[in-house]
Amino acid sequence: MKLTLNNFDEETKNVKKNNKNWIKVGLSTCGIAAGADVAFATIKKVLQENGSDVEVIRTGCAGKCYAEPLVEVKIEGMPQVVYGNVNEEVATKIVQKHVMGKQLINDHIYLVKDA
Amino acid sequence: MWKYKKVILVKDTDTGKETVRFSELFNSALRDRGLDGEVQVIRSADINVYNQGIVVKIIPGNITYSKVEEKDIDLIVRKSIKKEEALKEIQIDPKDKQVRIVLRNCGIIDPENINDYISVDGYKGLKKVLEQNDRDKVIAEIKISGLRGRGGGGFPTWMKWSFAKDQKNDTKFIICNADEGDPGAYMDRSVLEGDPHSVLEGMIIAGFAVGAKKGYFYIRAEYPLAIARVELAIKQAREKGLLGNNILGTQFSFDLEVRLGAGAFVCGEETALIASIEGKRGCPSPRPPYPSISGLWGKPTVINNVETLANISPIMHKGGEWFAEIGTERSKGTKVFALTGKVENSSLIEVPMGITLKEIIYEIGGGVLNNKKIKAVQTGGPSGGVIPEEYFDTSIDYESLQNLGSIMGSGGMIVMDEDDCMVDIAKFYLKFCVDESCGKCAPCRIGGKQMLELLTEISEGKATFEQVDKLKLISKAMQKASLCGLGQTAPNPVLSTLKYFEQEYVDHIKDKKCVSGKCEALFIYEIIQDKCKRCSLCQRNCPVEAIPGDRDKGYAIDQKKCIKCGKCFEVCKFEAVNR
Repeated sequence: MKLTLNNFDEETKNVKKNNKNWIKVGLSTCGIAAGADVAFATIKKVLQENGSDVEVIRTGCAGKCYAEPLVEVKIEGMPQVVYGNVNEEVATKIVQKHVMGKQLINDHIYLVKDA
Repeated sequence: MWKYKKVILVKDTDTGKETVRFSELFNSALRDRGLDGEVQVIRSADINVYNQGIVVKIIPGNITYSKVEEKDIDLIVRKSIKKEEALKEIQIDPKDKQVRIVLRNCGIIDPENINDYISVDGYKGLKKVLEQNDRDKVIAEIKISGLRGRGGGGFPTWMKWSFAKDQKNDTKFIICNADEGDPGAYMDRSVLEGDPHSVLEGMIIAGFAVGAKKGYFYIRAEYPLAIARVELAIKQAREKGLLGNNILGTQFSFDLEVRLGAGAFVCGEETALIASIEGKRGCPSPRPPYPSISGLWGKPTVINNVETLANISPIMHKGGEWFAEIGTERSKGTKVFALTGKVENSSLIEVPMGITLKEIIYEIGGGVLNNKKIKAVQTGGPSGGVIPEEYFDTSIDYESLQNLGSIMGSGGMIVMDEDDCMVDIAKFYLKFCVDESCGKCAPCRIGGKQMLELLTEISEGKATFEQVDKLKLISKAMQKASLCGLGQTAPNPVLSTLKYFEQEYVDHIKDKKCVSGKCEALFIYEIIQDKCKRCSLCQRNCPVEAIPGDRDKGYAIDQKKCIKCGKCFEVCKFEAVNR
């Protein structure tokens, strides 16, 4: 459906509804070079193994180059955090401990959002 | 539900060594009061406050304490955990120094999904522009905003647009310059990869304002992911009726195409870039005429940098006055920098104009890597210069940086410490320009080469002060007579290091010494036998087996084999390796 000046507001009003719970992985050249594609695949796989419906979203670079790969996690009722240096092991932990176990993870939090 | 009600983030922001101990102390204090089931203590990797001792953050509520000592722990638990009170004496209120306009969506939205961009007010700027249907109004709004070119030149964007708009010609072009090439710079790549639609929208609005029907993305071929995402964005925008014929159902038509740059640095210069798109060799031509009057295929052409274009949509959507409130009197808005080099947190940052280098390095960058002594910051890449520590309080804007002998540039910001030799730095940038010179004009082609030879002589200890005078003389000629910005600005790194670090040149020429240990011809590594404890660490770390010996006889460096990598110097715990 093509947008026009007339239908723009109506057509774009509900264009995108994010899942209540989501995980964003920074997949730009910088993140991928640091292994973000591995983190992305691991998170998807482990979520599936756990039967979780948390949405995994690809994003661009969030800016904290020193901590790539970066993964942001929003689970309802919990602080929204950005994890850094997320290798395969940490990616697995993010799903098992944060998403399923509802606990934050040590040594990898680089930012807490909307605290 | 969350397992806990609160979380205490702990981080030793000085050395990092005390993080574990303090988080244990908090844990036991919580256990003593039976709160360990309600509160999780987390060792934070970064708490976004630096060199402030033990920093503790309590969430929710975001109460932050700095310089926390052991004696404070029980009080923090009693007051801020059991109750909601804050300890005023140690409380701090860390403010985020960054302001995100260009990077507003980077790391937030999916760059490969146009709906994600639309859901965050994407294409609303374009919609407003087409509803108003008034080209002069668009340019007037940009004028109010005070936006200036972010590629480094700082030319007022509205003026460029206005010149092109006033040309009576049925064919006009918009070009997005994404030929980012400064060493250490990756701002444009990140924007194109993280939020390509924001740049597209800027180009479409520019097309409407000047009356162009066609635009080109000139992206360097070394950015394959950026190219793929831009091409996908173009396809999606066409499908939505945001690009192509009759955009949003109006009379306005505009389309975009991607052109790849083959990696020549000079093609970032606008006239060379145009030649490259035309299929010619990427060489600059004299200006005037400026591209706004006669550019691509002789037609009026607006060339804007990626970052400039990413600013357009928010300006149109929120208004020029909103934008003009950010920044300084003559430099409005924000600037994206790629902060790299000897800094703790290498990062891509966006800061309001007028911020100081000190704030950037210490409050965002987390200070100098490994607590070494800072020497300077380089901005503007091969066209810029170095800024020594004395000037770190200077406001960052186009004019102040220029007054310091550097430039804003496109956004590379490289921190240099005591191990960086300024002669070597000047040589590095000059060599870059010599390699990248297109060779069309003599001042750049010959002058650059001559300057590099003079600098090489200095770095090898073979020079006299006469060489410095010659450097200055050639610099002047290149600045005045070169055809384009590459040659005109190539001497800047040399001149600014000469201006602020003359002593280092004197050291190289008179004493034949390079104290930073970069100019290989001027030093050797030696083991001081009196200090050597014969631990063999240097021998084990030497990559070329240039340190024969054993624990009984001691060690010595074989100068013939030594490649002067400095590994032995770094690893020695007893300062027994001399340089």
